[in-house]
Amino acid sequence: MPAAHRGVVSRRGPQPTGSYPHAHVHGGMVWVTAQAGRDPGNGELVEGGMAGQMDRAISNLDAILEECGSSLDRVIRTQIMYTDRSDVEAMDEVYARRFTAPLPVRTSWGVKFLAAEPGTELVRVQIDCIAAVG
Amino acid sequence: MSSDPTITIKEAPEPRGPYVHARQHGGLVYVTAQIGRDPKTGDFVKGGFEAEFNQAIDNLEAILKAAGSSLERVVKAQIEFVEEKDLDAMNRIYGERFHDPLPARTSFGAAFLWKGAKVQIDCVATLD
Repeated sequence: MPAAHRGVVSRRGPQPTGSYPHAHVHGGMVWVTAQAGRDPGNGELVEGGMAGQMDRAISNLDAILEECGSSLDRVIRTQIMYTDRSDVEAMDEVYARRFTAPLPVRTSWGVKFLAAEPGTELVRVQIDCIAAVG
Repeated sequence: MSSDPTITIKEAPEPRGPYVHARQHGGLVYVTAQIGRDPKTGDFVKGGFEAEFNQAIDNLEAILKAAGSSLERVVKAQIEFVEEKDLDAMNRIYGERFHDPLPARTSFGAAFLWKGAKVQIDCVATLD
């Protein structure tokens, strides 16, 4: 990897299940892999439907950002993918509680499905971000 | 942070959630996905996909202008739309509104969009 690029895997985020780090740092910015509502301890999806999963996913982003020298208040843009249109209010309620001014720009859309281990409760939401470092 | 890096204007539909219209960082401006809502009423424009997409690009353009940028300086656009049959109209309108040097683009079909929107578009643009 070129010296100015750095992949980051944090012990405080759910361990990646594929060929990706938690984040990639370059040029004063960090790109964070989409996070689902998985418990960093056991990798399992948390309970509580959209609200529980969204809250945990943002906590995972928060921990990864901190490890990269950034934080939620330095997030520039988020992308949210979710599976059920009736979840939008719960999603916004949690998001509004966790992100404070200056708010990021945001793009969100509905998807057919999100990656989940067979036999587990469905992943309802995932969120990624770009943030400033330092 | 020395100054507010965010932009939210009256000439684009008022945010209906916890987000801003645009945010600047490192010589670039990032814009929240825009849908075909009229900035004055906040309602979807009438006229189906084509009207919605044109209005969404109008909203994007107003936000870029307020940020000190423009459609000509968009480096990347991303489009989500719901109906596969709208693909040709999407490409035609996009071609009418964006010109050389064209931005890089990613577009795909979404299962659904906010409040039944047929299409949305976001972008990253330069400030120079």
